[in-house]
Amino acid sequence: MSNADLAAPSLLSRINLQRYVVYIGFLAIFLFFAIVLRDSGFLTVRNLSNIVLQTAPVTIMAIGLVFVMSAGEIDLSIGSIVAVSALAAAVTIGQYGMVAGIIAGLGAGFVIGLINGFLVAYVKLPSFLVTLATLGLFAGVSRSMTDLRSIPVTDSLFTGIFGSGSLFGIPSLIWWTVIAIAIAHIVFRETRFGAHVLATGDNARAAAVCGISVPRIRLAVLTLSGVIAGLAGLLYAGRLQAAKYTLGETDLMTVIAAVIVGGTLLNGGKGSIVGALVGSLMMGMLNNGLILMGLSVSDQMIVRGFIILAAVAVSLREKNR
Amino acid sequence: MRNVIFIPMALVMMLVTGANAADGVTKGPNGEKPEPARSLTLTADEEASIKAGNYTAALVWHEMSEYTNAVNSGAQDEFKRLGITVVAQTDAGFDAARQKADVETVLAKKPSIILSLPVDPATAASVYDPARAAGVKLAFIDNSPAGYAHDKDYVTIVSDDLFQMGNRAGIAMADALGKKGKLGYIFHDADFYVTNQRDQAFKRTIEQDYPDMKIVAEQGMADTARSEEIAQALVTQHPDLDGIYVTWAEPALSVLAALRAAGNTHTRIVTLDLNEPAALDMVKGGNVAALVADEAYMIGVTAARAAAGSLAGKKTGPFLVVDSIAVTKDTVKEGWKASLNKDVPATIADAIK
Repeated sequence: MSNADLAAPSLLSRINLQRYVVYIGFLAIFLFFAIVLRDSGFLTVRNLSNIVLQTAPVTIMAIGLVFVMSAGEIDLSIGSIVAVSALAAAVTIGQYGMVAGIIAGLGAGFVIGLINGFLVAYVKLPSFLVTLATLGLFAGVSRSMTDLRSIPVTDSLFTGIFGSGSLFGIPSLIWWTVIAIAIAHIVFRETRFGAHVLATGDNARAAAVCGISVPRIRLAVLTLSGVIAGLAGLLYAGRLQAAKYTLGETDLMTVIAAVIVGGTLLNGGKGSIVGALVGSLMMGMLNNGLILMGLSVSDQMIVRGFIILAAVAVSLREKNR
Repeated sequence: MRNVIFIPMALVMMLVTGANAADGVTKGPNGEKPEPARSLTLTADEEASIKAGNYTAALVWHEMSEYTNAVNSGAQDEFKRLGITVVAQTDAGFDAARQKADVETVLAKKPSIILSLPVDPATAASVYDPARAAGVKLAFIDNSPAGYAHDKDYVTIVSDDLFQMGNRAGIAMADALGKKGKLGYIFHDADFYVTNQRDQAFKRTIEQDYPDMKIVAEQGMADTARSEEIAQALVTQHPDLDGIYVTWAEPALSVLAALRAAGNTHTRIVTLDLNEPAALDMVKGGNVAALVADEAYMIGVTAARAAAGSLAGKKTGPFLVVDSIAVTKDTVKEGWKASLNKDVPATIADAIK
């Protein structure tokens, strides 16, 4: 055996493959669709920009979930918060104007997040059960808020800022995505708060011994997740120019998958904001590509399920090494 | 099952449009006069022109169910017959935002036609505007986006005849009971367009056309999870009923269970929508007398035909309705085929032998 043979594994082992799983997966899926769907419009700027626009609310929700999961908790209620916030904003905009609507939408997310956080941090209930309950509770609230009716949003400034407009030729949803990712990445990586979140998720007892207020961190991440889901609700309302109780209902699993595939551990202690963005784009690209492949709806679901399973399996295996 | 799926959409439709079938005729969501779906035909020249066009179509569904499958299958078959390639199909899971994303996605394939059932008519304009702007021919099932105009923005709306369904249920009940007897009436006690219109049409038919048949027990059902309790109470209080109308097949199974538990082989059940256990009871000579179903497959055929015809310059009326059929023990095979374009399930086929 030559020296070169011996050097190969040590070089590979030095590369932290785990960090790149989501990017490699994203690239592989992109290349696959780019080749298979080369004549089906997949690579057009319009289609690629559609993928980013369509996944923007999921990406935003994923940011909140990265904080929550990194702290070792989970927030299942985001699906309902989106609808409640969007409806609260739509109703308020109609009566009191845009600023009041934005406050109402984000405020609804803040209050629900605060309730989740309080019950988890101070009543010491498991976040899975608390947010499962509030998911159902606020799904009911969203239905009763307007008796199942959709509420149109006609304020063009609001719809322009939150989803339908553009600035310097770039759609507002892309601005929101970029700004939210940038801020969240800095807060998560560069601030004491981010470090405390990770420390809490890694080992809550050790974090407490080090002087970190674990309940306060738990309260903070769940409240943050509520506000961020509220923002996703505003983006949906702006994009659709209406709010309805079904908004966000089907997104929960996609958001969780995006966050896990993106390198955040279910048990906490490790997370990645940029990974969640790539995970979310991967989910959007999968939906888009499978539709463009002309598969039946059932086949799309089966293939998507397999790919997500494979992505999560590879991602988690790498992390557990 | 379709009722449950359609409830949110139908409620919105009712609130927005005030569509109405209670006056004896099913009207379109915008008050359109119905035309029979079967009246829509294409000439040989029109078909030849469509086949020569190398057109494509996308099917943007609100959600997938047995009903949507039948509509989808009708559309696929008709498109195939006309040489149109179906390039994409989607399922919005009853989420308007997802349906918007679906429309944007399928536009990458530049389809000539989009067939769709709008999740939420009140806000659907923002969903379909990109397709309309791209010049795609749009044909809708059941409702159209608020603000869209027939012919200018979309080709047609295809739906089922709600009044006729309730009316046929009334006739089927009369046939089963020899036009006389005491009836129980289990209706959907909620403000939902589809079920309300069908229930009212049944009641109106019995009250107006059959003087020797009397509805002696009425029971509203708001929550399907409670249908068994409601059925139990009705059967206990009125053991001498000759027939029971049930608003749709799923709760009808609860009524059937209650009758069986009481050892009642006398009371006949008529309900709406095809359902395998109910049909099995019917062919085995049980309590179920008839199941009234719409021609879901034909809805897909008609929408596809209308949209394809528009590419050849054919004008179609604004609101086309398909027939409904009363499926009985003797017609179960044909009924299943006409409604869902499928053979009856094996269990029923075996029971018929």
